Amino acid sequence: MVMVSDTGSEKRGDVVPTRIAPPSVRRHAGVPRAGACETVIRAQHVTIRYGDFAAVGDVTLDIPDRRVTAIIGPSGCGKSTFLRAMNRMNDFIPTMSLSGSLTYRGEDIYGPRCDAVDLRRRIGMVFQKPNPFPKTIFKNVAWGAAINGYRGDLHVLVERALRRAALWDEVKDKLNQSAFALSGGQQQRLCIARAIALQPDVLLMDEPCSALDPIATARIEDLIGELKAHYTVVLVTHNMQQAARVSDLTAFMYMGELVEFDATDTIFTKPNEQRTQDYITGRFG
Amino acid sequence: MTTHFVNLLEDLRRRASRMASLVEDMVQEACESVVDGNEALARRVIGRDNDVDSEEVAVESEVIRLMALYQPVGSDLRLLCAILKINNDLERIADCAVNVAERARHMERCTLDRHRETIAEMGAFVRSMLRDVVQSFAIEDVETARKAFIEEEHVDALYEQIIKQVVAEGATSSNGMAARLDVLSVAKNLERIADHATNIAEDVIFLSTGEIVRHGDGGPRQNEG
Repeated sequence: MVMVSDTGSEKRGDVVPTRIAPPSVRRHAGVPRAGACETVIRAQHVTIRYGDFAAVGDVTLDIPDRRVTAIIGPSGCGKSTFLRAMNRMNDFIPTMSLSGSLTYRGEDIYGPRCDAVDLRRRIGMVFQKPNPFPKTIFKNVAWGAAINGYRGDLHVLVERALRRAALWDEVKDKLNQSAFALSGGQQQRLCIARAIALQPDVLLMDEPCSALDPIATARIEDLIGELKAHYTVVLVTHNMQQAARVSDLTAFMYMGELVEFDATDTIFTKPNEQRTQDYITGRFG
Repeated sequence: MTTHFVNLLEDLRRRASRMASLVEDMVQEACESVVDGNEALARRVIGRDNDVDSEEVAVESEVIRLMALYQPVGSDLRLLCAILKINNDLERIADCAVNVAERARHMERCTLDRHRETIAEMGAFVRSMLRDVVQSFAIEDVETARKAFIEEEHVDALYEQIIKQVVAEGATSSNGMAARLDVLSVAKNLERIADHATNIAEDVIFLSTGEIVRHGDGGPRQNEG
């Protein structure tokens, strides 16, 4: 029997074969004050258009490994568009086009060799509104692995994912109940567990707490802090206090432009750009 | 953050500046009460201490309230932190002014006469220094704030000078020891006021730049001069 491991020591990619190349160590100066860490996702002069409209313009930044990177900015600044580009969720929008370079561990995300389905297994996503499947709690977590031919013990996989999502103790005795019986906060953690079950490398979170009450929000924020030991987290949030609380690095976007990207402490105490200063202090936005 | 919060911050900044003006007046009157032997002025200084104490509590309460309700960041956070610290230093400066005024009420004039010139010079310098740092806070003028670091050294030198004078007097005569201690106390309190003014200057630099320059950290203070 496979032992349940919560240490993150299991080898990544042992569930789903991937066409993405294994990590290559890249150290460079493009990551602000997060220590020397590997870059997981690198954007270089990325411009994303919907038809003629440039939602994201010439963005260059590196997402470091095992860190929480927050992207903040007013509505319409392009932060969600940029986030969704990282696992090609924007592919479903016919008018979308992307120029520049967006790579995941050195592989071109929009290159011909990249399989979008494989990519989304490695770069999972949690959405604004909890969206569990109309199935049991167990099946919600196990489903993705099962349809991908997972040959291990699904019970072990489900327990590990639920533990990492800080939900196991609350649902271990009702795994066969409908996911809709859970509270909103529990449903969101279930969605995180569902993403974790595919053993991703990166978790993209698009306003994961905006539909939750303060208590559930606090649980998710605590969870994000724990998840970064195992995963790289990219978080889009309107809640600046949340970005300040949970992230290591913060990128501020405005009107499609990356205005400033720095350590979160710096962004929220002495930002270098006046526009960042004005936004975080509520002078505009 | 709302316009309402911005207005509250500006109200608080003005309130802190008004408190600083009150404390400036107390220091000036305390110095004059010593140099001119004006006991009525000394009593006036002592009587204003309660006003400063009350204002210190009020300003601190407002800072805590704004932090709790608005969770400020960036320059707003720095402003509240700076006001909290400057508020404390102003209250301590007022205490020093009261100490000076209390000495003025009991000081033996003939002993003071021998040190009047140095005390007057020290007092004038400290008042000027305090005025400058208060002004630098009002308009966030880092360059003016930095001058305080040099001026503090001058005040320290004057303090050393008075200590030497008093020690030299004590070596030649054992009479009038209490009066000489009063002179030393006045000088010590003026020197403390200069220290607090320097603290305020450090807070102004933090407010404006985000750099903490206390204890010689952060470069700007070390490079001074």
